[in-house]
Amino acid sequence: MLAYVVRRLLLMIPTFLGILVINFAVMRLQGFTLAEQMKVESGKGSEGVASERKVQGASKNVENYIDRFRRAGNDLPALINTRGFWTKADVVSTLQVAAPAHGVRSNSGSRAEKQLWLAGHFAVEPLYQVLADDALKELHPAAATAFALCAYASVDPGNVRELSSVELNRIQSLNETLRNNRFDSIADPAYAAKRKVLMSVYEDPLNRTAFAHSKGKAWKALFVETGFTDLMVKLFTGRLYSETHKEYAFTLIGERWYISFGLNFLSIIIAWGISIPLGIRSARRVGTLEDRATTNSLFLLWSLPSFFVGTLLLHHLCTDTSHGAALFPNRGLSSDDSMWYSTPAYLLDLLWHATLPLIVLCYGSFTSLSRYMRGNLLDQLNADYTRTARAKGASEDAVIYGHAVKNSMLTMITLGAGLLSELFGGFVIVESIFSIQGLGTLLLDAARQQDAPLIMASTVISVGLLLVGILVADLLYAVVDPRIRSKYG
Amino acid sequence: MNALKIGLLIVVAVLLLVFIVDRAREAAPLREINKSLVQLNEASQQQIQELHALRQAVEAHPAQVSSGTGSAPSVDPKLTIADPKNPTATQPAVDKDRDGNPKLGVNFLIPYDRSFFHPEWVGGTLKVFDATPKQLNPLTDNSATTQSVHALVNDSLCERPPTHPEQWSSCLAESAVISDDFKVYTFNIRKGIRWQRPAIAKRAEFKWLDTDVELTADDFKFTLDLIMNPAVDCPSLRNYYEDLDKVEVLDPQTLRISWKRKVYTSLSASLGVSPLPRHIYGRNRDGTPIPAEQLGVTFNKHWFDELRGVVGVGAYLLDDYQPDKIMRFRRNPDYWGVSFHFEAIEWILDVKQDDAQLVGFKNGQVHVDGLAPLKYKSEILDHNEPRFAAFDPANPKAGRQGQLGWERVKSMSFSYLGWNMRHAPFNDKRVRQAMSFAFPKDRIIKEVFYGLGQPVLSDVHPDSQYCNKDLKPFTFDLAKAKTLLAEAGWTDSDGDGILDKTTDGVKKSFSFTIKYIANRPEYDNTLMIFSNELRKIGIEMKPSPFEWKELMRVLEDKDFDAVVGAWQMDWDIDYFQLWHSSQVDLQGSSNHCGFANKEVDELADKLRTTFDTAERVAIAKRIQAIIAEEQPYTFFRSGEGIFCWQNQGAPAKDRYLDGISQGLDQLNPLVNRSRLFWHFRN
Repeated sequence: MLAYVVRRLLLMIPTFLGILVINFAVMRLQGFTLAEQMKVESGKGSEGVASERKVQGASKNVENYIDRFRRAGNDLPALINTRGFWTKADVVSTLQVAAPAHGVRSNSGSRAEKQLWLAGHFAVEPLYQVLADDALKELHPAAATAFALCAYASVDPGNVRELSSVELNRIQSLNETLRNNRFDSIADPAYAAKRKVLMSVYEDPLNRTAFAHSKGKAWKALFVETGFTDLMVKLFTGRLYSETHKEYAFTLIGERWYISFGLNFLSIIIAWGISIPLGIRSARRVGTLEDRATTNSLFLLWSLPSFFVGTLLLHHLCTDTSHGAALFPNRGLSSDDSMWYSTPAYLLDLLWHATLPLIVLCYGSFTSLSRYMRGNLLDQLNADYTRTARAKGASEDAVIYGHAVKNSMLTMITLGAGLLSELFGGFVIVESIFSIQGLGTLLLDAARQQDAPLIMASTVISVGLLLVGILVADLLYAVVDPRIRSKYG
Repeated sequence: MNALKIGLLIVVAVLLLVFIVDRAREAAPLREINKSLVQLNEASQQQIQELHALRQAVEAHPAQVSSGTGSAPSVDPKLTIADPKNPTATQPAVDKDRDGNPKLGVNFLIPYDRSFFHPEWVGGTLKVFDATPKQLNPLTDNSATTQSVHALVNDSLCERPPTHPEQWSSCLAESAVISDDFKVYTFNIRKGIRWQRPAIAKRAEFKWLDTDVELTADDFKFTLDLIMNPAVDCPSLRNYYEDLDKVEVLDPQTLRISWKRKVYTSLSASLGVSPLPRHIYGRNRDGTPIPAEQLGVTFNKHWFDELRGVVGVGAYLLDDYQPDKIMRFRRNPDYWGVSFHFEAIEWILDVKQDDAQLVGFKNGQVHVDGLAPLKYKSEILDHNEPRFAAFDPANPKAGRQGQLGWERVKSMSFSYLGWNMRHAPFNDKRVRQAMSFAFPKDRIIKEVFYGLGQPVLSDVHPDSQYCNKDLKPFTFDLAKAKTLLAEAGWTDSDGDGILDKTTDGVKKSFSFTIKYIANRPEYDNTLMIFSNELRKIGIEMKPSPFEWKELMRVLEDKDFDAVVGAWQMDWDIDYFQLWHSSQVDLQGSSNHCGFANKEVDELADKLRTTFDTAERVAIAKRIQAIIAEEQPYTFFRSGEGIFCWQNQGAPAKDRYLDGISQGLDQLNPLVNRSRLFWHFRN
C-alpha cells in the first residue's frame, strides 16, 4: 500500500511540471504582454469599439517602452537564454537587419531591433565593441541607441525599496547620461563626444561588473534568466504580482475563494443529491416510459448551454417590467442592506439570491451524473451476485441498496476525483451573468486583460487540487477495492 | 438504514454551514453600532449643509452685482450662481474677445461660472455603474476610472467649462498670466481653500492629520516635482512635462511654471495641474516628514494609498470604498466653490457584464446607463422595452419623455480602417483610395450602427472648429475603385475572378487579412458587408478578430496588412503622435500605418509651437487635406451612443427632466457623457 501511495505521489511531480510548462507556453504564444499601462477605454454605450487614447508624445520616451516589458518579465526569452553567448558579430548582423534599407523599414527589421533592445545587460559588451570599432561607423547611431537602452536600469516600484538613496541617485544619473547621449546620425556635431560618453559608461569599473561577459555568467543565464524560471520563482515564493489589480495574485484569490467555494459546494450537493436517486430510479424502471421520458428531457437540458439559459433567466425572471418588480434579484449573493438582517432572514435572502445561479450551475450535470449512475447500477443488477442475492430471497430494496448501489458507487469515485478542484474553481459564465464577485469573474477579468500572473496562480491552484483529488480517488479506490490493494501488497 | 444515515449526514452538513455563516456574521452587532454612528454623522452633516446653502444663497446675490462692474481682468468676479426664479437671466455673456486664444501678459481666464447650478435642486443620490479603480493614486494610475475619481474629489488650477470647453476658466487659480514668449506661466491661487480631511484622521493613530490645512502654491510645486522625479512610476504622465524647466513658489499664493521651449502642450500641462496634498504624501505614517531624496521612492507605495485614502480640494469626499462592491462620495461641506446637485454619488462596482448592467438599469439600481448600437436597436428601435419612449425620426428629443429617458450623445472619438503603407498592396496611394471608394460607409452606418455616428473624412470630429469640411468625400463608387486599381496595375489577367499584379516576375493576387477587435458584432457585420463589396471588384479580404490586448500588440509591432481601429481625441489637436515621420520606425509608436510626408512633418512641428487659434485651424485643415489625399486610413465614423436615464421615481419629475434636458441642450455636444451629471437630480 505504501508503495502505491509513493508511486502516485512521485507521478504527480512530472505531471504538475508538465502542466505548468504547457500553461506557460500557451501564454507566451498568445503574446501576453503583462504590465501594459495602455489606457483601455471600454467605450460601452458611447462607442461600440474599444479605442486607444491619444497620449501626446508618448513614444518620445523609448525607455518607457523597455520598462513595460521588463516589469512583466517579458524581456526574457521563454525557456533558454542564449544572450550571454552573443558576440560582436551577432550584434552587427542584428543591427544590419534592423537598419531601414531604403525609406520605411520592414516588420522583421522592427522585430530584430526590439529583440536587441530587450536583451538588457547581455548586449552591452558586444554593443560597446561595435561602438569602439571605427570601421562600423554607419552602424553607430543604431548601436548607440541600443547601447543606451540595454544599459538603462529600470527603476520600478518592486525593486526600488531595497535600494539605498545613494545607489538610487547613481542609477538615476546613469540613466540620465544614457538618455542624453543617444544620437540619430553620425552627422550629429556632438557625435564624437557622445560616443565617448557612452563608451565611458561601459569602461567605468562600477558598471563593468554588471555589463562584462563571462563564461560562467552566460552558462548560468542559459536556464536561470528565462521567463519560465522567473515565473516559477515568483510562483513558489508567492510573489506573483497582478499588475492590473496592483495586488499579489494569491491575496486576490484569498479574498474571494469562499464565495465560489460556497456556491460550488451547494451546487455539488444538489447535483449529486438529485442525480443519484434519479439514476437509481431510472435503472429500476429501465425501459419504461418514465425512464425514456427522463432520459430524453435530461438530454434536452444538457444541450442547452448555460450562458444561454443564464441570460434568458436574467432577462425574464430578474428584470423589472412596466407591470411590476422582478421575481429574483439580478446581482450579487445578498441584498445591499443584508448586513442588518437577522440570521434566518439573511439566510433566506442568500437563498433567494443563490437560487438562479444554482439552477444554472446544476442543471447541466444532472444528465451525466444520473446516466452514469443508471448505467453502473444496470451493470450491477445484471451481475451474478445480484442474482444470487435475489435467489436467496433478499427483498428488492435490500438487493439494490445493500449490494448493487454500494458496488456501483465504486465507479462514481472516479467522477468524484474532479470535485475538489471544482469546489475551488470559479464558474465564469454564471458569476459574470449574475454579477457575483467570485473567482470566476476574477479569472474572466484576468483573461480579458491578459493578466498572466493571476491566470497562472489560479491555474496552479486548480491543477494542484485536481491532482490531489485524483490522488484521493486513487487511494479510496485502493481502500474499497481489495483487488488493487492486493496488487501492491 | 443507509438512506437514514445519508439524510442525517446532510442535515449535519447544512447545520454546519448555518453555523459557519452565523459565526461569520458575528461582526454584525459592531456594524450595527457603526451604522447608528454614521446616521448621527449624516444628520449633523445635513445641518452643516443647510447652513452652508443658506450662506451661499446670501452671498450670491450681492456678488452678481459686483461681477457686472468688474473692470480689471486680473480680479476674479465672485462665483456666479443662478437666480432660482429665473435660471436663464444670469447666463454670463461670453466675451467675443475670448476665443480660446491665450492673451499674453494679462489674465486670460474666463470667470468661474456655475450659472447652471440651482441651490434649490441639491439633494438625492446618483447611482451609476463603474469599474473598480486599480489604485487611487492619480499619478501612478492613469486609468480612466481613477481619473474620474479625482475629477470628483479634486480640482485643477484652471478648467475647461463643460459649456465652452474651448476656453479655459478660472478654478483653483484666480488668474493665470502667460509671458510674452509663452514660456512662463504665473498663477494666483485662490485664498482660503482647505484640504479635505481624510476619513482616517478620526483614528487615534492619525491624530496628526486632524487639522485644517490650506492649499498653497507649495502643493503644486510638490506635485510637479513628483511628476518630474524619475523614481516615480508615472512615465506616460511625465511625457507631457518633458520640456518643463522649473517650478517656483513666489509666495504662498503665487506659482510660476517655466518651460524650456515654446510648446503648445505646455498650455494644458500647466493649466490642468491638480494638486496633491503635500501634508500627506510628504510624510511618513507617523507624521514625520520624508527626506527629499526618498520622496520619489516612497511615493510609489505610499502608506496613504495602501489605506485606500483619497483627498483633494474638490466638491466630493470619498466616503466609503469597498473594492468590487461600492464607492460612495458625499458632498464636501467645506467646498470653496459650487458643485454638482447630488448629496451623494454612488458607484456600483460589482456589475460588469453588459447584459447585467442593462438589467440593473431597468431594475432601477442605477440612474444612468449607456446603450451600444445593437441594444439601441432591440430596446428602442424595435421597442422591446415599452418604458423607453419610441423612436421618432422627426423629433430627436422625443426619447426624453419616456419612463426611461434616452438621447443620442456624441463622443470625441473616431474609427477607421488603417492600411499598412510599408508593403504591397497598400504602399500605393491609388490602391488605398480605391479601398476608400469601395467602402460603403453610409450604408454600414445606417444598417449596422442604426444611424449612430457621423461619417468622417479626417481625424477631427465633424463638429469641431478644426475640421476641414472641403475634403474629397470618397462616396461609394465601385467603378471608380476598379479604375484606380487598374491604374495601379491590378487586373484580373488569369480570369480567376481575383485581381493580380506581376512585379519582378512574381505574380501576386489581391488577397489580404484585416485585423479587428473581437466580440463586437457591429464590426463583424461591417467587415462582412465590406468584403462582399470587395469581392465584386475581385479583391479577397479575410477578416480576423483579435482580443483587445492582442490587437494592441499587433498595432505596436505593425504586424498587419489592414486593421480596424479607433482613436479617442483630445481638445488640443496634435498631429505629431499619429502622423509624424519620426514615429514611423519607432518601437511602440502610434503611426501604425507608416505614414510619412515631409509637408505634414513641417506642419505638425509648426502646430506644436503655434498658439493662435486661427493659425492652428489653418494648419490643421491643410494637414487634413494632405492626409485625405494619401488615405493612410479610410476614415469611418465618429463615436456616438445612447445615453439613458431614469425618469421614474424622481421626487420632482419636471425639475428632474429640466435638469437633464438643460444639460443636453447647453453643454457642448462633444464633452464627455459623464459631464451630463452636472445636471442630474434625484
